[in-house]
Amino acid sequence: MTELRLIEKIEGEAQVLYRFDKEERVSDAQIRFLNSRGIERILEGREPWDALAINPRVCGICGHAHLIATVRALEACYPSLRISPKAEAIRELTLSFELLQNHFKWFYLTIWPLLFPDERRIREATEPSRVVGEMIALVAGKYPHSSYALPGGISSDPTPVDLLGISERLRSVGRHFARSVIDAKPELFTRCERIEEMLSKEGDLPRVMREIMERGWERLGRSFDRFLVLGGGGLFVSGKSHATRIREHLDLRYLEEEPIEGSKALRVRYRRKSYEAGPLARAMLLRTPLILEAHRRYGDSLFSRILARVCEIPRLLLYTEELLGRIDLSEPSWIDPGELPGRAEGVGRIEAARGSLLHRVRIEEGKIARYQIVTPTQWNLGSGPVEEPGVAQKALLGLRREDPLELVFKSFDVCSVCTTH
Amino acid sequence: MNLLWLSALACNGNAHSLLNYPQLESWMEGFEWLYHPLFPSRYSYPEIEAGVGGCEILLIDGTLEEGMSRNRRPFAELLERYGREAKFVVTVGTCATFGGIFREGGEGRQGVHFHGEERRKRYDDLWPKTVSLPGCPVQPEVLAGTLSALASGAPLPLDEMRRPKYFYAYTVHDGCSRNEYFEYKIEEHRFGELEGCMFYDHGCQGPYTRGSCNRVLWNGVSSKTRAGQPCMGCSEPDFPAVGLWQTSKNMGIPARMPLGVSRRAYLTLAGMAKAFRFERFETPMMEPGEERLPGEEREGS
Repeated sequence: MTELRLIEKIEGEAQVLYRFDKEERVSDAQIRFLNSRGIERILEGREPWDALAINPRVCGICGHAHLIATVRALEACYPSLRISPKAEAIRELTLSFELLQNHFKWFYLTIWPLLFPDERRIREATEPSRVVGEMIALVAGKYPHSSYALPGGISSDPTPVDLLGISERLRSVGRHFARSVIDAKPELFTRCERIEEMLSKEGDLPRVMREIMERGWERLGRSFDRFLVLGGGGLFVSGKSHATRIREHLDLRYLEEEPIEGSKALRVRYRRKSYEAGPLARAMLLRTPLILEAHRRYGDSLFSRILARVCEIPRLLLYTEELLGRIDLSEPSWIDPGELPGRAEGVGRIEAARGSLLHRVRIEEGKIARYQIVTPTQWNLGSGPVEEPGVAQKALLGLRREDPLELVFKSFDVCSVCTTH
Repeated sequence: MNLLWLSALACNGNAHSLLNYPQLESWMEGFEWLYHPLFPSRYSYPEIEAGVGGCEILLIDGTLEEGMSRNRRPFAELLERYGREAKFVVTVGTCATFGGIFREGGEGRQGVHFHGEERRKRYDDLWPKTVSLPGCPVQPEVLAGTLSALASGAPLPLDEMRRPKYFYAYTVHDGCSRNEYFEYKIEEHRFGELEGCMFYDHGCQGPYTRGSCNRVLWNGVSSKTRAGQPCMGCSEPDFPAVGLWQTSKNMGIPARMPLGVSRRAYLTLAGMAKAFRFERFETPMMEPGEERLPGEEREGS
C-alpha cells in the first residue's frame, strides 16, 4: 500500500510517497519537492555581478555558501585575477561561521524535537546562531544575504578591533557548545576515537546519541556507504570514498543532473552513482577518528550521520580560531580584477553546511547566458526509480513502518528551498 | 497573540532573520505560533490546511504564484481563509510585499497586493488590515517591533504602501558611515576601503531606498554600506534592478536622485560642493600618524 506523507520544517517541505510491502517494510520512497522559484532562469541575461546579490537568496540559512560559490565561479572567469590571502581567509571565516549556525539550528530545532518533543530547546539554537550572525556581519555588513565577496576580494576593510570582536564572539559560541551540546573541549574531537568517551560526557549530544541507542536505532538509515566532497582546500579534503577507501580524484564531467518525476528538484549523481554529501562525507574524507569509529560499528547510519554533523562544530571552532590568528590586515581587501571577458565560463565549489555546493556560470556577450546550481540536498535527497535509488531513498528502503522514518530523513539535514532553487 | 506564518515561494530568509532578534525569548512570551516554518508550532502544516481556529495575525512571506500549493491545498485558499479571520495581515519581506526577486522566475507571480509598483486587487479585501514590511530579508527589529505594536494596540502610522513609518520613513542613507563623502560630492570610491561614497559609480540606492538599515544596524553591528557594498534597494517595489553594482548616469550625473530632491536642486548643490577641495576627505581615515604608544616600533629607527 502507498502512503503520502509530508515532511515539514526542512527549510520548506517535501512529500514522501511510501510504498509498504506485505511485511510492512518500506519497498519504495519517492521524494518530491513541489515548488521551484526558477533562480537559474532569473539569472539569465543579467550582469554577471548581479549574481552576487541574487544567489544568496537561494536560501535563508545557507545563502552565504551560495555567495562564496558564486564569487569563485565568477573569479574563474577572469584571465588574471589575484586575491590577497587576507581576503581568502576572511571569506573562509564567514563561510565557516555560517556552517556553525546551521548545525546548531538543525540539532536543536530539527532533531531534538523528534526525540524529546516535550522538552523545548529554542534558546540553545537561537543564541549561538544570533552571535554567529554578528560575527559574519562584522566583516560582511549584514546576515542573512550579504554580498561582500566580490571578484578581487572583499568589499569591507576590517580593523583589528573588528577581528577581536569576532574572536570574543567565537569564544562565546564555544561556551554555548560546551554548556549545552557537550561538556568537552573542542580539541577532544580531533583525536577522540571512542564512542563511549563521547557518551560519558554531559550534554544534549550524548543524551541524543544514548536515546538513539536505547531505542535500538543506531544501525538504521544506512545507504550506499559512498561519500563525496567537492569543496576541499580549506578545512575539508575533497574526493570520494566507498566506505573508507578514498579516491581524491574527481572529474566534474561525470557529474550529471537528471529530472525526477513529480518533483521540481533534479537529482545529481557522479558516474550515474549516488553519493552522500555533507558532514559524514567530510568526516570520512578527513578521517576523523570518532566518526570512523562510529562508521566501523554502525556503518553510514543515522547515528554516524548525526554524530558527524554535530562533531563538525568543534572542528569549525578550532579552524576559525586558527584562521583568525593568521590574518594580516595590512594586505589589500580588494584587488581590481580587471575586465571580465565577454565570453567565459567558471565553476565554484565549496562546502556548505549540508554538503558540496557547485555553481557554474557561462558568460556570453558580457551577460550571464547560463547558470547552474547543484546543491547538497540534490545529492542526498534526489530520488529515482527503486532500482536506482538516491541516497536518502536507499536509507529508507527496508525500514519498518514503526521505525523512525522522519528521523532518518532529517538526519540528512534537508534544505528544500536549495534543492529546487 | 496567535501568529500564523505561511510561506509562499520563499527562501526562508525572513524566518531566519527573526531568529537573530536579540530579545527573541522575551518577545516570544507575548506570542504563540499556530504555525512557523522553523519553530515547533501548535499545529502541523496538514492541520493548517485542514483548517484551525484562532489566527489573530497572519504573516505571509515569499512570492505568491498562481495555483501554487505547498502540500495539498491551494495556497490562495489558505491566504483567503486565514486572511479573512485574522485581525492583521503582515506581508513579511519584499517578496510577499512587492513580488521581489522571484517575481521574475515564472508566470502569475506577485506580492500579496503589489507586482512591483503596480497595485493588484485580488486580495483587496485584506488591504485595510495589511501591514507591509518589505526588506530582503526584513530586519528582525522591524518584524518583532511591528508585531509587538500590533499586539499591544499601539498606534502604528503607515505610509501609502502601508509600511510603518517608524521604520520606513527613513532612507538607508540615514546613518551611513560614508555620509560625508556624499554630502561634499567626493566621487571616488574603491571597494575594500572605508572611505568613499558608492552613490556615484557603484550603484548605491541608499539615498532613495526606504528602510532603517543604517539606523537599526544589521545584526546590531553593521550594514551593507558600512561594509563597502552598495545598497541595492532590496526593500523597494522594483527590487531587483539590473546592474546592481553600477550607477546609471545621464550626462555624468546619477540618473536617480535622492528621495524628494529635484535634479535642479541636486545639480546646484553638487556644483557648489565641487567648487571646494576638502583635504580631510582626500586622506585615508586611518592613515598611520605621528603619535605612538610607549614601546611601539618607529619606522626607520
